Amino acid sequence: MHINYWTELKRSKFGRTGLAMISILVFLALAAPLIAPYDPWAYVGTPLAPPSGEHLLGLNDIGQDIFSELLYGSRTTLMISSGVAIFSTLISLAFGLAAALWGGLVERVILRLIDIMLIIPVFLIAILVASFFQPGVTTLIILLTCLFWPPGARIIRAQALSIKQKQHLTAASSFGAGKGYLVYRHLLPDLYPIVTVNFIQVIRRAVFMEAGLAFLGVFDPVQKSWGLMLHYASEFIFTGAWKWWLVPTGFMISYTIIAFVLIGYALESALDPRLRRQVYVGH
Amino acid sequence: MRKRYLDYILAIIIILSLNFFLPRLMPGDPLTAIYGDALLEMSPQLEAQLVERYGLDKSMGEQFIVYLGNLLRGDLGYSYYFNAPVTEVLLEALPWTLLLVGVSLVLSTIIGILIGIESGWRHGSRLDSLLLISIMFLNGIPSFFLGILFLIFFSFEWQLFPLSGAVTPFSDYTGLALFWDIARHMFLPVLTLTLMQVPRNYMLMRNSIISVIREPYILTAQGKGLKEGIIRYRHAARGALLPVITRLGMSIGLMFTGVLFIEIVFAYPGTGHLFYQALQNMDFPVVQGSLFFITVFVLLANFLTDLFIIKIEPRLREDAYQLLDRT
Amino acid sequence: MLDIKNLSVSFDTRMGRLTVLEDFTLKVNPGEKLGIIGESGSGKTTLALSMMGLVSGQVQGSIKYKGEELLEKSEEEWENIRSTRIAMVFQNTGDMLNPVYTLIDQVMEPFLKVNPGKKKEAFSRASYLLQEVGLTEDHFYAYPFSLSGGEVQRALIAMAVINDPEVLILDEPTSALDALTKAELINLLDEIVKDKTVIVVSHDLSTVMKLTRRTAVLYAGKIMEASSTQALLREPRHPYTRALVRAYPTRTTIKDLQGIRGEFPSLVEPPSGCRFHLRCTQSLETCSLVPPPLVEEGDSFLSCHRGGVITLLQGENITRSFPRRQKGLEETYFNAVDDIDIILKEGEILSLVGESGSGKTTLAHILAGISPPTRGKVFFQEKELYSLPKKESKKQRRYLQILFQNPQEAVSHRMMVHDLVEEPLEVQGIGDKQSRAESVKEALELVGLPADSFFLHKYPHELSGGELQRVTIARSLIMKPKVLIADEPSASLDASVQAKILKLLMHLQNQQGFALVLITHDLALAGKVGDRVAVMFSGKIVEEGPTSEIFRFPAHPYTKLLLEMAPSLETEVPSIKRVVKVKYDGEKGCPYHVYCQHPLDICYEKEPELKKVNFQKVACHKAPEGKKNNKLNLVENRVSTEISGIKGEVL
Repeated sequence: MHINYWTELKRSKFGRTGLAMISILVFLALAAPLIAPYDPWAYVGTPLAPPSGEHLLGLNDIGQDIFSELLYGSRTTLMISSGVAIFSTLISLAFGLAAALWGGLVERVILRLIDIMLIIPVFLIAILVASFFQPGVTTLIILLTCLFWPPGARIIRAQALSIKQKQHLTAASSFGAGKGYLVYRHLLPDLYPIVTVNFIQVIRRAVFMEAGLAFLGVFDPVQKSWGLMLHYASEFIFTGAWKWWLVPTGFMISYTIIAFVLIGYALESALDPRLRRQVYVGH
Repeated sequence: MRKRYLDYILAIIIILSLNFFLPRLMPGDPLTAIYGDALLEMSPQLEAQLVERYGLDKSMGEQFIVYLGNLLRGDLGYSYYFNAPVTEVLLEALPWTLLLVGVSLVLSTIIGILIGIESGWRHGSRLDSLLLISIMFLNGIPSFFLGILFLIFFSFEWQLFPLSGAVTPFSDYTGLALFWDIARHMFLPVLTLTLMQVPRNYMLMRNSIISVIREPYILTAQGKGLKEGIIRYRHAARGALLPVITRLGMSIGLMFTGVLFIEIVFAYPGTGHLFYQALQNMDFPVVQGSLFFITVFVLLANFLTDLFIIKIEPRLREDAYQLLDRT
Repeated sequence: MLDIKNLSVSFDTRMGRLTVLEDFTLKVNPGEKLGIIGESGSGKTTLALSMMGLVSGQVQGSIKYKGEELLEKSEEEWENIRSTRIAMVFQNTGDMLNPVYTLIDQVMEPFLKVNPGKKKEAFSRASYLLQEVGLTEDHFYAYPFSLSGGEVQRALIAMAVINDPEVLILDEPTSALDALTKAELINLLDEIVKDKTVIVVSHDLSTVMKLTRRTAVLYAGKIMEASSTQALLREPRHPYTRALVRAYPTRTTIKDLQGIRGEFPSLVEPPSGCRFHLRCTQSLETCSLVPPPLVEEGDSFLSCHRGGVITLLQGENITRSFPRRQKGLEETYFNAVDDIDIILKEGEILSLVGESGSGKTTLAHILAGISPPTRGKVFFQEKELYSLPKKESKKQRRYLQILFQNPQEAVSHRMMVHDLVEEPLEVQGIGDKQSRAESVKEALELVGLPADSFFLHKYPHELSGGELQRVTIARSLIMKPKVLIADEPSASLDASVQAKILKLLMHLQNQQGFALVLITHDLALAGKVGDRVAVMFSGKIVEEGPTSEIFRFPAHPYTKLLLEMAPSLETEVPSIKRVVKVKYDGEKGCPYHVYCQHPLDICYEKEPELKKVNFQKVACHKAPEGKKNNKLNLVENRVSTEISGIKGEVL
């Protein structure tokens, strides 16, 4: 069934909310250098200073402006999560399609690979590797991409296999269509919805993962990451600074993840015909 | 099924290898990588002892065999920070983790399923929307953040619960008092962990119920004039349960990962906390060892779940992962 | 008796030179009953008149009567020939008889011409003949205006035979007459002309069928085909003859009538090359350039560059095996399609009938070129379909199309109507954007769908079932295929829409001229649409032949059963209970023997082959060879019907 996912998203309340939230976030991230009152790496005052007119959220333990840190943190988060999502989805697509289209030995090898990688607990491996390497942004993106692609590849392969059987491909081949045409014109468009859903899921996990890893301290300490901020902030609970340091940061992380949860839910509902409210189209 | 065994064995081999090769890939010698700065404070004899123990003077291949041999003997190395064999340290921490995971598992499953049923059954109603929004909201909050918030409010500000640990240190509670003490310490971590797992179970159950509602046999049940509650649980929920159960096994694995954060936040002396401490103190043997331990545990849990699933649902077999997938 | 060679007749009119007859060549043997058929304007009457020397205009060529050249005869010589040697019953169009003379008077006249003065004899002979032709004494003295058409016709016949001519030419002897009168007249003529040489010129096929042994077909002044009447009308070889037969309603016609596409050509400026090529569905370039020669084959003549209706699609020994998983045992195979030979001729509609599981869809896919058979070959336009190199194979796809059963599945739901219909052109790389857009519009109009921008941008889920099916038809036809295989095209639609779609298909088939294979489980429907029917059971074709034959004289027990079980609005429900069995590779015996009423011993042993019985082919041990008494069959049919009711339950 043809469903325009964009319209479905906009139609769903959840979708609209999620989209709105993300749009704001993206705006903040892009505009950060303009909006942020201070350079987040600069030392601008007494450490742990409470919020004031000059510093909306006060200062952290080494005297950096928390508000600016927060704004710049959005860039890190979005960059890493979208980077991971894009690359991992591409790899999932490549492997999933390869397995579905070529079959035979290629498929078996890929499937084996996916199965093994699925069994390994992703998070723990991430921590293990990260704790040895202390990754920066690029390294983290690479690491997470390597860990996140298997589930997507699995799903894409299954879906591609099912689409391959569909009759509209047979019909097109009865016109003389070659394999390339079939893949491009018939297979990929039908694959598009599930790839989108997968993409959103990966972003969500990536945000969480990045924050989590940073929180544990296995991230480049110089970066402005919300997780890192939490990491430092949690050591200073007893000071009462948590109110303006910890809470807003945690809130931002939650905000981001919730936004993607909402979008993801809206998309999944659109995909699954059973969950949709009956919208009658046609005669 | 044979393929499954193969996969698990392969997975273990890969993890072992990772564990083995990573330190050796670091610049400098493995000992430095493993013990870091502590090396400086070591006496040459101790160093020589360690070298011999790890067989660092031998070739890569032989080292690997030594490493495997050590593993099989249960020798995960020696912790400098704790001054005890890693295995011992780990085994001390394990029960606490199991306690947390076990209780949370049961609670989150029951709660998740129940509200999932109620929500899905009333698909589209106010209650359903309310629950849905709340749960999605909850889903978005990272576990560590929630944990810290709880800690701050309940333990710090309002002093309702202890700040850390599994038991009050240096106390000698026994019997009921001990039980109560443990319970108090355990409350917030379990609460957090449970709340983290509930959304997944909820969503699954809800979706499942929604599709089951459409099934004809529900109509038949209604036609029989049965009470709504009975239909809801005896017929609908029953049918909807299968995918949830299948996923349950998967959840165990994820829970081990989740508990990591909780233990760290609440300074609960489980394997996760141990790991974190070791990390901070650069006690690499413990880091490696605990990580390894947890990983193997997760693998074991997954494996057992797979076996269980195949038993209860022979249709799945190779396609087991279709249902298991989706995080 | 008569030897006509290269006869050509033309008239000069104010519109130009009208060539009514061109290069007509035919031999008529003594005592032969010959028919000449064709539409009005085909030149039949001119031909008849020329044999009587009555045609005006310019005549070229030669007509030899017993060796004598008629065209050189003077008017005087002709007068001696007419009525006494060669007589003609003219077409009864209005005042064929002089209104002021009585009937008997006019009938006696020719006799008196030869035997002047012998009035008594003339009278007695005339009255005898008039009575012979079924008129009574009351008619003798009647005047023509008081007589009915039938009575006038009879009188004309009497008038023609009164001098006992050797050759009798009948020009449309039964047209404009009612059925009963026709029948009487035909019987009469049959009697009268027993020992004469007769030429019957008519457009009425049933008359020609009953009166003649051999027939020639005229179109726009040229002879297209000549053959024994039975063969000509039952299995016409020339496309025009076929079209004529299709347009003729008879008691036994089951298929819906179809006209002939195109218009009758101008005789002033006749089409170049073959006269019929503009309306022909299988014309090549040669057909428009060079007139085809009249080729003799035994006692048949044919004038067609392509040698008559050609075979477009041919399947030989087609078998398709699928593995079957059985518990524990080794893998066995079953043949969904079992050693089938099938032929599809150009421009015809073949209905393939069978239940689910009979293998018809599998066969359809194999014939369409999209699913290779396990064994056997498929020939399309003489080329072996599955052995072609990729490029060639792709090109062939333009001419061989398949319509799938469920239109919802056969289209991508992400493509708009415009894209869908355009797709074949895109895949084949035909034309540019502009021309493609035009083709799309054309195709949509062809199937009765709007071609405006609004409709073009609709998605499949915005269309009704019928509309979507039309879209799939449009896109199958956009490349102007020569063969269309329609797999249960109306199965997924409402009954009322079904009818529309099928009518559309038939109309398109007639208009565009492609050959159509209609696959259905509904035998009644198959009869309405198909020229020929093939019945499939368990992967084999058990009966095959022209629709009218199969429906009147079903030879295979399965066909009989199907006919009986076809939907009807009667209240009685025929009882039946059975399971479709599937034949494994290597199993012996006739696949139908389990359900057959009276299987012979041989039915368990040997598989029956497809044998020719009359005009159809049957695969049944019990079916007798050659011709059979048709009446007997109908009775047997009824008897076996009753028995089948009981047997079904026992099973």
